[in-house]
Amino acid sequence: MSDREKFLREKISSLVPKETELENRGEHFDFHAPVTCSVTTSHSIAVGFGDGKVRFFFEGEKPRIIDAHNGVVLSIATNGEYIFTGGDDGRFLKLSQNGDIVEIANFNSRWVDSVAAYKDSMVCSSGRNVYIWSGDQKKAKSLEHSSTVGGLAFDHTGKRLAVSSYGGVTVWERGERRWTSKRLVWKGSHSKVGFSPDGKYIVTSMQESELHGWRLRDKVDLAMRGYPAKIKSFAWVGDTPHLATSGDHQAICWPFDGKDGPLGREPVCVADCGKQISTFIEPLTGEKAIFVGFNDGSVLLSELDENKNPFVIRNPKGSEISAIAISPNRSHILIGDSDGNILWSTLWKNN
Amino acid sequence: MNDMSQVPVTVLTGFLGAGKTTLLNRILTEQHGQKYAVIVNEFGEQGIDNDLVVDADEEVFEMNNGCICCTVRGDLIRILGGLMKRADKLDAIIVETTGLADPAPVAQTFFVDQDVSDRTKLDAIVTVADAVHLSSQLGEHHEAEEQIAFADVVLLNKIDLVDDKAVQNVQTRIRKINPYAKIIKTNHCSAPLTEVLGLNAFSLDRVLEVEPDFLESDHDHEHDDDVTSLSFVSDTPLDMDKFQAWFGNLLQEKGQDILRSKGILNFEGRDDRYVFQGVHMLMDASPMGPWPAGKDRSSRVVFIGRNLESMNLQEGFERCKVA
Repeated sequence: MSDREKFLREKISSLVPKETELENRGEHFDFHAPVTCSVTTSHSIAVGFGDGKVRFFFEGEKPRIIDAHNGVVLSIATNGEYIFTGGDDGRFLKLSQNGDIVEIANFNSRWVDSVAAYKDSMVCSSGRNVYIWSGDQKKAKSLEHSSTVGGLAFDHTGKRLAVSSYGGVTVWERGERRWTSKRLVWKGSHSKVGFSPDGKYIVTSMQESELHGWRLRDKVDLAMRGYPAKIKSFAWVGDTPHLATSGDHQAICWPFDGKDGPLGREPVCVADCGKQISTFIEPLTGEKAIFVGFNDGSVLLSELDENKNPFVIRNPKGSEISAIAISPNRSHILIGDSDGNILWSTLWKNN
Repeated sequence: MNDMSQVPVTVLTGFLGAGKTTLLNRILTEQHGQKYAVIVNEFGEQGIDNDLVVDADEEVFEMNNGCICCTVRGDLIRILGGLMKRADKLDAIIVETTGLADPAPVAQTFFVDQDVSDRTKLDAIVTVADAVHLSSQLGEHHEAEEQIAFADVVLLNKIDLVDDKAVQNVQTRIRKINPYAKIIKTNHCSAPLTEVLGLNAFSLDRVLEVEPDFLESDHDHEHDDDVTSLSFVSDTPLDMDKFQAWFGNLLQEKGQDILRSKGILNFEGRDDRYVFQGVHMLMDASPMGPWPAGKDRSSRVVFIGRNLESMNLQEGFERCKVA
């Protein structure tokens, strides 16, 4: 080898990032279908894929594969014990962690875009309709909306269900006999929706690369703007919660403590990744820290503190991070991307 | 909008009964070795049964960005996003619109939504027209005019049901609205699929093929609502600043009436050809390499729309010429 060659080799190897500790000790899978969604159940992490399969990851075991849908698994939710999935085959399914499948409804060429679950209630949306099954009811209660449903979320009590669509959010409340609704209005198309952990706020991500929020007590609007890309993921972090959001070159975390939440306040910006755009946010359970996935496949771990440096958890692999989940007892982490790569690893060194 | 990994999307328009379903069934059943997904609307003519058929509502959303004609198809953003998550790669996607739909929001979706334009690209707008009924439909419904105006290809169907003279008349009618669409005469939509799909008509490269003809069309008897086209050519180079100011202002103020625009521009002091194409107010523009050696450097612009006569386009364009 000539000196020149040697020099070049060294130069190149110094540019290739070294494996992170997590990559080094973790298991790597390539499932050849985009990872579309994931959820943590009572004993496992369930992951949906673009080929209709759902894979359950139990700590210390090989993944269990379930042939669930005849197409893309579009959405996933859990009540702890079971998982519920919606697919582009029009089916709404209930899966046990052992792999038993029950078809709850079939809408054929209409997709099941969103699902949600709380204890013995399960919900899905197809087109403009939301269907709710509660207790041992065989027949669903159908709630119609003025446009296609963008997202669904129960609050922490399971009594209220937020349904986002074009022009705002409809909040359904379960009464003694029937569901009543009130409408939160904001111009534009709303997709992902969520309640704050204390149930005082509702937040949506919008087509316009911004978030919108409402304080439910008085319907005060909260506009959270300035993102260069659509917000594909958001999550609540910490006891005095921050809303950590993707869609920028870092994670943008809005303070929701105090009586006015983020009104007139600056967000905390952490996990800067240069030119990349963040696509997935997952809190590190029990800590004031988040895993942030980016469109190049890298994942950073950062505390919600602008003065602390983030840790590199996964190096860029080229395709965007579409799932990060922490196992039920916080021992393992699962990272998935839109090429079908999964990294499944213990979270701590001596685990 | 020209990454090879983008899946091409063909928009299929046309009035009820023109033959869209016949064409869709051919696309889905013919042995072509390609994997196509078809997005149909709820009020389609008849059921088409296939795994890769997706039902959609035509949900036209206004964007919050202050652009008055910036409407997009929300359902398309959702469905195209879902289709891009499939494990098997699609060769193309076809979007059927209802007979009474304005094609603009579909086209605008590809300009406005980042995820859609990253992963898919608008291939062409194909309008199926019924040779028997088109003339009367054009008089009665402005949507029919818009569908012809936006078309890259017009499949003039059912020509076996009318005589040659009637075919000629309806062709003249189409040409008057849209002199640049390719007209394919068929029965039972039997045109080769290669002439309908994979045309790349919205790529800026293709704008270079625009050859406006200078048949002076007779505007006398047209009322204001009629869709017409106007084109201009200049061998004198244009002043870039002046052009940008004029054109930007024009699209902002008259964008609702300008349905489509395209052009190739020769700017003073620039070696590259500048190419643009627009749908209403939204525009895609880029330098497209140097002018071919030995060829005339002439600027050409084309507008299709309503009330074009009132916009002083000729005068505005002339003023952009370098003095």
